[in-house]
Amino acid sequence: MDHFYTSSEAIKQIVKSLTLTKTLFVSSIVIGEAHTGKKTLLRHLFPDTPVVCGSDPEAVEAALEQNDEVIINRFELLPNKENLDFENKRILATADYVGNHNVIDSLFAFIYTMPPLSERPDDIPYLKRRFLREGAEIFDIDIDGFPLDSVPNDIRQNCKSLKRAVYFHLAIHAMTRKEIEETLYRYFFETLDGNNAYKENIGLFEKPLIRAGLDKYGSQLKLSEILGINRNTLRKKIHEHRID
Amino acid sequence: MNTVSIDFRPFIEWDNNPFILFDNRGKILYLNNAAEILLGYVSRKEIFELALSHAPQSYGFQTEPVSLRYDVFNFFSVTVGYENEEQLGIRLYNAPRIRNQTPLYGEKLVITNLNVLLEANIALFRTRNTNKLELLTDPDLPELKIDQNTFSKLLRKVFESFRASDSIRIELKMSVGEHVIIEGKKTPIALLSISANGRYVDTDKQIVELSEACHIKHHLHETGIKLEIPLIS
Repeated sequence: MDHFYTSSEAIKQIVKSLTLTKTLFVSSIVIGEAHTGKKTLLRHLFPDTPVVCGSDPEAVEAALEQNDEVIINRFELLPNKENLDFENKRILATADYVGNHNVIDSLFAFIYTMPPLSERPDDIPYLKRRFLREGAEIFDIDIDGFPLDSVPNDIRQNCKSLKRAVYFHLAIHAMTRKEIEETLYRYFFETLDGNNAYKENIGLFEKPLIRAGLDKYGSQLKLSEILGINRNTLRKKIHEHRID
Repeated sequence: MNTVSIDFRPFIEWDNNPFILFDNRGKILYLNNAAEILLGYVSRKEIFELALSHAPQSYGFQTEPVSLRYDVFNFFSVTVGYENEEQLGIRLYNAPRIRNQTPLYGEKLVITNLNVLLEANIALFRTRNTNKLELLTDPDLPELKIDQNTFSKLLRKVFESFRASDSIRIELKMSVGEHVIIEGKKTPIALLSISANGRYVDTDKQIVELSEACHIKHHLHETGIKLEIPLIS
């Protein structure tokens, strides 16, 4: 069963309302930005209900004919919505946007609005912890050394961008020298072009090297010794790569 | 000539039109069943003043057309009369209800616990309005047959009209002694009242349409809405 957690009061009320409608023949729709947890919420509350997608009208039609209870995801993609017959059925739908307001208003008795992650900041630490645990299993690393604050909060695309940020954070900590080489190889292989590619791409190595060195040793003099290059050469490269 | 004594009191007692007999200071000497229900919605003083203002100039009875509304009650006429200085009587005539022509679609009606449906709609409303809300329901309210989807749409529209209101009070109870005739059957009524400091009226047209589809009588006021829900069994 999909697990769903929230500390948002608005979503707790959605959960309460949907739970109460489990015994009723009513139509409900959860509308909200993509990747806010709409589908997970419905799967969590109605684990045995058949699920269809609005992008497949024939599957929706067949599901409505065969079942009294159906989950329709991406409802906004469904054509000819006004001809649907929801009488005496328990319909649960999700949509990323409203579309035709009048059609939604006449078809659905319960219209819920799922708040985006930006409106429920208290849910972010829980989601980060969950993605960290999932990622740690994939990358086979110990997450004890990963304080939550060090993981970037990218919620531009709600859970999708947050998950990507967490996984990327784990990946950069888990990569070996060989994997970094492989990553650069793939990148160069796909992008290498033109007549000045050496100069254009050398920054991929020099810039992180100097940035990390300055952060680690604090002085240009010490770093030039560590790198084994002249102080003036280092200063020139700092200027060249606009490292301040 | 032989006279036969007939006791007319039971006819007045069970008349659907409210009847009240006052003394000359406005104290109630007698009231029938319908008047007892009416006095749950309007004060004794107000009815007494109404009787005084419509009383005939001298002894006798006078019937006048009026257009009165006390909450869910509508009256189209009153008869006021007195035969001595001590007693003043008033009878209020119920305005006929407009019969709902919408057919009942039996297959759409599902046995429903009204409290569950109401709770679900309140939870939906709470996702948008976090103002103080007071709920009074009757847990012993019998189940009824209703088109759950249409009724839920009606409740959503009703609650939407209170979307920015403060101190909302919701009350669901049996309307004792009242009934409505639906498809020839005497049907008891549950009364759902929602009131607040004010409300929007932009959803009123849809409230009227959805109420009629559910055979529900609606009363739309500036600060509240009342729905008379027939408990179809």
